[in-house]
Amino acid sequence: MWEILFSTHHTDIGLLYIYLSTTAFIIGGALAIGIRSELFLPGNQGIIPDSNTFHRIFTVHGTNMLFFWLIPFASGIGNYLIPIMVRYKDMAWPKLNAVAFWMLPVSMALVWLGFADTTWNAYPPYSIIRAPGPAAEMWIFGLKIAGISSVLGAINFVVTILKMKHPDLPLMKTPLFVWATLVTSLMIIVAMPTFAAALIMLYTDRLGISGFFNPAMGGDPIAYQHLFWFTFHPEVYIFLIPAVGTAYELIPKFSRKPIFSYGSGVIAFVMLAIVGFASWAHHMYATGMSFTEKTVFMVGTLAAVPASAMHIFNWIATMWGGRIKFAAPMAFTVGGIVLFFFAGAGGIVNTAMPLDFLTHDSYWVVGHMHLFLMGMITFGFIGFLYYMFPLITGRMYNERAAMIQFWLMFVGVSMIFLTQHVLGLYGQPRRTFDYIPVQPLIILNQISTVGAWITAAGAAVFIANLIKSTVSGKPANMEDPFKLGEQYYDYARREPHH
Amino acid sequence: MVSYSKLALFLIPVVVLFLLDVNSAFAQESSKQYMSARIEIWALFYRLMVVAFVIGAVVMGTITWVVWRFRESHPKNKGSITPSRSEGAHH
Ligand code: HEM
Ligand SMILES: [Cu+2]
Repeated sequence: MWEILFSTHHTDIGLLYIYLSTTAFIIGGALAIGIRSELFLPGNQGIIPDSNTFHRIFTVHGTNMLFFWLIPFASGIGNYLIPIMVRYKDMAWPKLNAVAFWMLPVSMALVWLGFADTTWNAYPPYSIIRAPGPAAEMWIFGLKIAGISSVLGAINFVVTILKMKHPDLPLMKTPLFVWATLVTSLMIIVAMPTFAAALIMLYTDRLGISGFFNPAMGGDPIAYQHLFWFTFHPEVYIFLIPAVGTAYELIPKFSRKPIFSYGSGVIAFVMLAIVGFASWAHHMYATGMSFTEKTVFMVGTLAAVPASAMHIFNWIATMWGGRIKFAAPMAFTVGGIVLFFFAGAGGIVNTAMPLDFLTHDSYWVVGHMHLFLMGMITFGFIGFLYYMFPLITGRMYNERAAMIQFWLMFVGVSMIFLTQHVLGLYGQPRRTFDYIPVQPLIILNQISTVGAWITAAGAAVFIANLIKSTVSGKPANMEDPFKLGEQYYDYARREPHH
Repeated sequence: MVSYSKLALFLIPVVVLFLLDVNSAFAQESSKQYMSARIEIWALFYRLMVVAFVIGAVVMGTITWVVWRFRESHPKNKGSITPSRSEGAHH
């Protein structure tokens, strides 16, 4: 225990990341269940006392899921596997690696203890004029620290992959997961500074010493949105690409076939990383941009579609003619890919600017982003956690329970988020504590809430499985724990303390 | 060397798109032409969007079918199996 806490070895740090992020996933999920339960009926259900608390809850939920679940989990599996995959003994800078991890608990504490109500976007003028302190300050500093942590982690990954890679191993022979991590890390390094600057500007605006975003001082709130989305549209691919990388790990192994086209996978990663920077203002169609500006960002957004399609065709071609073992890791991956399609389709509607005026700031957007974040990405990560379970614990998880969890979550997530698209079209705004008591809003909200409860049941099975199997699961066959006839990770790497 | 026929094949759509764009860009000079150009382009966009969604739905159906058909427990997968890495099909 203490050995792991003070270790700088990559598998220990990886484990800490995975542990922190999975915890964040569970407690962030609890907040979501609170939100959905409150919305089961119009009016105040007493589950959340008032609208202000409601705002705080969804702010922390969103911030927590993005920065303490998705990003750290990707760092965790990257820490575990990248050194193994590039055949180096550790990350390039082990101490820096530990520092980057230990910034996260600090940042998480600031966000959770502050419990700000700014929404995860923290748009001014509210965030600089009215949002109560010290919650908003704690949120700002929390995110500042999380941002620095992810940049440090990213630099470490880039250097480990490019400089510490075994000389006999060409980059084009590394697993696609390495490419996913490399591309993600480079994107973090390019995207993050803009938001880091915006956070400082928010802070000085709150102190009243500057007025960058304060209209009363001649500032421009829309400028914040540009800075924010210049970081965070690329960031959505930063969330996504690691999950694409895990799909490339699992699909060939569980289909017992080599990847159909390695080269097109690499090309699609690089394409996505580049065009990811050409779409940020699709979040801002309603801010009164000119037709030309909007068209540029619409085309920039659509440019991401071919790359995503390349991945999907690659996966289908890999599975085609294989002998697929539909165990939990594969089930979560494939289920995630199906939800990925619906998410992408919703995104296309959003990016067609006349249609965006229907969907913008409505529940539709909530449905869209969650099909990615909860569908493709979280599903991919859960599947991958099961795949790595023997490597981490030396034991096997319970396959039956994991499949039950998969079906609960697949049905639950579809119910919650597909329904929310329709809710949005019927005019329910996002981020509201209450809604007009008319049909079909009531019934749609109820379907969504029941879906959330089903998903929560799946999550309960998940935790129980993780805990029980860690303690008393069957010892795994470390050569080939899933009986795939494929190579598993090098187990000896796990034992740093000898 | 890239062959010239490939280059030509690549250039044709680029040139066509370019000409189309030039055409729409000057559509603004008469307001009537401008309006109908806008309507046409959006009509085209929506049609393409519907096409894309249909293709996507078919692809998702295909994924589901592939996972079903090529699962190891499928009756047709019993006889001629695809050997896995350690069974020596590839390296
Ligand atoms: C086919 C690719 C995608 C397209 C075309 C697309 C398009 C869009 C558009 C236009 C919006 C703005 C909607 C509005 O506010 O009116 C949006 C919102 C959003 N998208 Fe996507 N998106 C895509 C992929 C993704 C991915 C991969 C993720 C996450 C991994 C993602 C996460 C989000 C989030 C979080 C928001 C809402 C942000 C907020 O306002 O809080 N999107 N998307
Ligand atoms: Cu975006």
